[in-house]
Amino acid sequence: MTTTTPSVELSGITKRFPGVVANRDVNIKAQAGHVHAIVGENGAGKSTLMNILYGLLRPDEGTIHVDGREVSFASPSDAIAAGIGMVHQHFKLADNFTVLENVVLGAEPTRGGRLDFEAARQRITEISQRYGLEVETDALVEELGVGDRQRVEILKVLYRGARILILDEPTAVLVPQEVDELFDALRELKGEGLTVIFISHKLDEVLSVADEITVIRRGTTVTTVEDPRSVTARQLAELMVGSELPVPELRESTVQDRVMLTADGLTLTLPDGRTVLSDVTFSIRSGEILGIAGVEGNGQAELVEAVMGVRRPTSGTVHLGGEDVSHWSTRQRREAGLAYIPEDRTRSALLLEAPLWENRMLGHQTMAPNARGPLLNRGGARADTERIVREYDVRTPSIDVAASALSGGNQQKLIVGREMTGEPQVLVAAHPTRGVDVGAQAAIWEHIRNARAAGLAVLLISADLDELIGMSDRLTVIFRGQLVADFDPRQVTPQQLGSAMTGAGEAA
Amino acid sequence: MRRRFDLRSVLIALAAPVLAILFSVVVISVVLLAVGDNPFDVFSKMIEYGTQPRTEVLILNSATIYYFSAVAVAIGFKMNLFNIGVDGQYRLAAFAAAVVGGSINLPAPLHVLVILVTAVLVGAMWAGIAAVLRAYRGVSEVISTIMLNFIATGVIAYLLQPGRLAVEVQGSNNIGTEPIPPSGQVPGMAIIPGTESKVYGLAILAVLVGFGYWFLLNRTRFGFDLRATGMSESAAVSSGVDIKRMIVAAMLLSGAVAGLVGMPQLLGSSYSYSLDFPAGLGFTGIAIALLGRNNAVGIAFGALLWGFLDNSAQILDLEGVPKEIVTIMQGTIVLSVVIAYELVRRYRLREQQRLTGQATAEPTGIGPGADEREGAPA
Amino acid sequence: MRRVIKVAAIAMAGALTLAACGGDSDGGGASAGSSVSPASYKVGLAYDIGGRGDQSFNDAAARGLDQAQKEFNFEKKELEASAGETDAQKEERLRLLATGGYNPIIAVGFAYATALKAVSAEFPDTSFAIIDDASFTAANVANLVFAEEQGSFLVGAIAASASKTGNIGFIGGVNTPLLQKFEAGYTQGAKAVNADITVQVKYLTQPPDFTGFNDPAKGKTTAQGMIDNKADVVYAAAGGSGSGAFEAAKAAAGPWGIGVDSDQYKLPSLAKVKDIILTSMIKRVDVAVYQFVKSYNDGAPATGIQTFDLAKEGVGYSTSNPAVAEYTAKADEFKEKIISGEITVSAKP
Repeated sequence: MTTTTPSVELSGITKRFPGVVANRDVNIKAQAGHVHAIVGENGAGKSTLMNILYGLLRPDEGTIHVDGREVSFASPSDAIAAGIGMVHQHFKLADNFTVLENVVLGAEPTRGGRLDFEAARQRITEISQRYGLEVETDALVEELGVGDRQRVEILKVLYRGARILILDEPTAVLVPQEVDELFDALRELKGEGLTVIFISHKLDEVLSVADEITVIRRGTTVTTVEDPRSVTARQLAELMVGSELPVPELRESTVQDRVMLTADGLTLTLPDGRTVLSDVTFSIRSGEILGIAGVEGNGQAELVEAVMGVRRPTSGTVHLGGEDVSHWSTRQRREAGLAYIPEDRTRSALLLEAPLWENRMLGHQTMAPNARGPLLNRGGARADTERIVREYDVRTPSIDVAASALSGGNQQKLIVGREMTGEPQVLVAAHPTRGVDVGAQAAIWEHIRNARAAGLAVLLISADLDELIGMSDRLTVIFRGQLVADFDPRQVTPQQLGSAMTGAGEAA
Repeated sequence: MRRRFDLRSVLIALAAPVLAILFSVVVISVVLLAVGDNPFDVFSKMIEYGTQPRTEVLILNSATIYYFSAVAVAIGFKMNLFNIGVDGQYRLAAFAAAVVGGSINLPAPLHVLVILVTAVLVGAMWAGIAAVLRAYRGVSEVISTIMLNFIATGVIAYLLQPGRLAVEVQGSNNIGTEPIPPSGQVPGMAIIPGTESKVYGLAILAVLVGFGYWFLLNRTRFGFDLRATGMSESAAVSSGVDIKRMIVAAMLLSGAVAGLVGMPQLLGSSYSYSLDFPAGLGFTGIAIALLGRNNAVGIAFGALLWGFLDNSAQILDLEGVPKEIVTIMQGTIVLSVVIAYELVRRYRLREQQRLTGQATAEPTGIGPGADEREGAPA
Repeated sequence: MRRVIKVAAIAMAGALTLAACGGDSDGGGASAGSSVSPASYKVGLAYDIGGRGDQSFNDAAARGLDQAQKEFNFEKKELEASAGETDAQKEERLRLLATGGYNPIIAVGFAYATALKAVSAEFPDTSFAIIDDASFTAANVANLVFAEEQGSFLVGAIAASASKTGNIGFIGGVNTPLLQKFEAGYTQGAKAVNADITVQVKYLTQPPDFTGFNDPAKGKTTAQGMIDNKADVVYAAAGGSGSGAFEAAKAAAGPWGIGVDSDQYKLPSLAKVKDIILTSMIKRVDVAVYQFVKSYNDGAPATGIQTFDLAKEGVGYSTSNPAVAEYTAKADEFKEKIISGEITVSAKP
């Protein structure tokens, strides 16, 4: 089986952008009937490579062979014609269309100029049964869960006749149980002789599903592991990073007696009658990190907003350092020492078009060193930005570049640096290391640990269970707006957490 | 390194409008050739006429009015608020100011001040209605300001009647408010040599407003909040900006400046609000704000360019060239400036990303960018 | 004989112009007046917004100019206003004409009053005329104004006579004092015939929105509304919007329409609806322009307020639609009374 012609072969692919080489001499062979994983840090060049394979970019050097024939893609439609399909990390579905409509969108079957939905329905049912991708064809996409939506994306690609599937970080949005379902489907696909190219940086998952693994570091292929059983996740990670790997872990407890943040009976009912937060009560003490686990969309975002004062809860109170701040504005809370790392960095934490030093002021525009009375203190802000860039290792040519020019990890380091400045009392950190590279992740963990040791109280919300378990003093699970289970992070397993998160299991 | 970086960006910033104007000159030349006129003749006539001292005064005067209008629009734009209502705001403000100015008699500086304050307050109030509707009822300011323009027209039409707030002039088919006595008028300035025509005294106010606009946006906390809201509402909210208050504040400011649009004409030339008081300047302001990229200095250039085009159109009419050509020219310039800036913005971003990519690669020295770095600029 | 006079007149005008330049007074060149001779003077005309082709009073002014040009030998230049311009720009337009040697210069519309006041003082040797304004007078300015209320009185009387329902309508283009004169005369004329008559009054737009003069759709719905309210004669004093009003009347089969400014029964653009245009209130802007140019041509440019009223045939009503014949006797009777002063028509509604 391994001696047959590879279904996809990339040889010597090099892609230069002005001033940088995104890919250099990349060589990958993926066999039909295999799941071929490509792993690498964020920014290692995986996306560029996949965009080349999908026809979005043209390589400067190197060749692509599909089923032994050399191909050259001018656009994704050429790639699709060659049987290559891409399932993007962010779903590209029309919410108010049905599954059927979404699948056929762009490849509508017609008969005599009219849409022929019946033929399409038949084919979709056939495909979904063959590969175990069950979805209700007439359901509206907006009513579907994340896992279902992903299946729709895969169906869409298969419907267009793809024999080679590229899945870009497909598990980033899934809970463990959904991941398992996805992997079952992938096994069906390869059993039917399809080629699956699976991009991820979650190494445990890669090891469980892949038949071959190619590691990319700094734009080039470092090695290809032909037998996944021969490596451990840690070895893989070190191949990715090229050095030792950070682990999220806390050392000794630094919890003090003083309660810094208390939420009491927070309840939020939306105008449409849905209750998204229901009687949420917790308190965090100085030097303590409280982790909140949960499948996305179970009220985490609303909880953070209620604590930050962005959203007024229907009932319940928030106390900050013993003071009732329930009626304070976000700005007052921030001025009182509440720091905030929002969930969506590019939407809520940065002004992408503004230079770094202006971004340093964001959220702190009323405080020293950024302001003097009603006026801005540009000198102060700039000097302090230089300090953050230095101390938090933000890689940038200057503090005058726009925030959008930085990589995700460097953006996040800037945000963390900003929020850690000014001696905050409490830090609300939502997914603080999401989408950042391993190096930045380690640095961010280290900064949070140091601040914890200095007495910072942290509310940590994350989808990365390893991070939650490793970085929390206490863990609690949020499900449908309620805190349903408490765990001791030293004893809990990701499986137990996963069950609680889906509402299946009971507290351990 | 930073110095060169800055110099480059200044050059790039200048390149955009210059290229845009050159591009529109080309487009207009094609249009002119198509209708059988010699573009070179047309342009040289416009320039020749536009540089005569008297025309220069007219251009400055038009630009003064346009500047107020464009700054008013730009304040909204900076926050992603589309204040289409500058037109209604300035007309109502000018009308109210004319009524107040014509009915009181105060020592000169005080009289002018009262008129200006009236205009600013009325303009702000009219914009404030749209602001409150947007902030607390979610009504799109585009729709409400358009409606308020119509309502302003109706209100003025109702009040501008003999027996209400208008006075009749014997033998005239025009009607207007009671003329503002000399103490409330702002004398012009004979600052252009070679002509007796005078530049509006309120041109100085336009300069001050421009400076204030720049200072407010770039040097104050309020301005930062405003820009932050415009760049990303969600980020501004997280940073503690009260969006509703900002909407109201920005609209009030926009309306206040809009209130000044009619003042140069009212206090420097017509002294009364009559049926033929210039209308539609609020829409010109939108175009000029786009042209000037909401930048205090950019808008000034945009206003002067617009003033030049508007006034030199007269000579085209006299020379038998359809003066609509100028309207086409204005449209083309706005469009090409918008496109040119977008191109430059993307170029800059790529440039910064490239530099950042290098900076990220630097510490190890073996990064993928290392071998390329020597040839790169900056 | 007439030709001789014409030749003489042109010669004289030429002489005057030359005299003004301090040239010789030996005019009367034999070749003057022939079609190949160079133009002896240049007439400038500044339109209000809309310009030539507006189907309304700018066009009427253009007609007067065209007619004058047919008879007299001159060069002409027509300039047009833009929306949203200030007095300064209007002033500049007139000044450009004056410095360009145009004399006489005609400003069409009251909006030019302020501008003309300034420019006429700057160029005392140039003759100016302004239409629809008498707010100021100067030795070198002719104020060409009309007694629109008198003409409207007559069509009002015709409307009341033709109405069977005792209900008629008035549509004004834009609510300005000028249009209110039309309304006032119309209502008075109608009441003079039938004291109990109902007159529905509507203006299409309010200043500074002058689109009411050029919005047939609005004219149509407004007229439709009046007809639905039992009006059976509608007077459309609304420029280009009138065509819409006539369409509404035509569609309703029965109601009459009354036109304005020119004899709209004869306008080619209204040929489809002409049979329901009972009459038109004629405002002879063309006559005013023609006569002003003629007076200049004759060497004695008119100055001061020139009121074009019924007595001077500056306003009137048209009789080209045969249907109006049965009402003309009464209308002419009122006309005599107005001319004699027995009836005074107020210009205010």
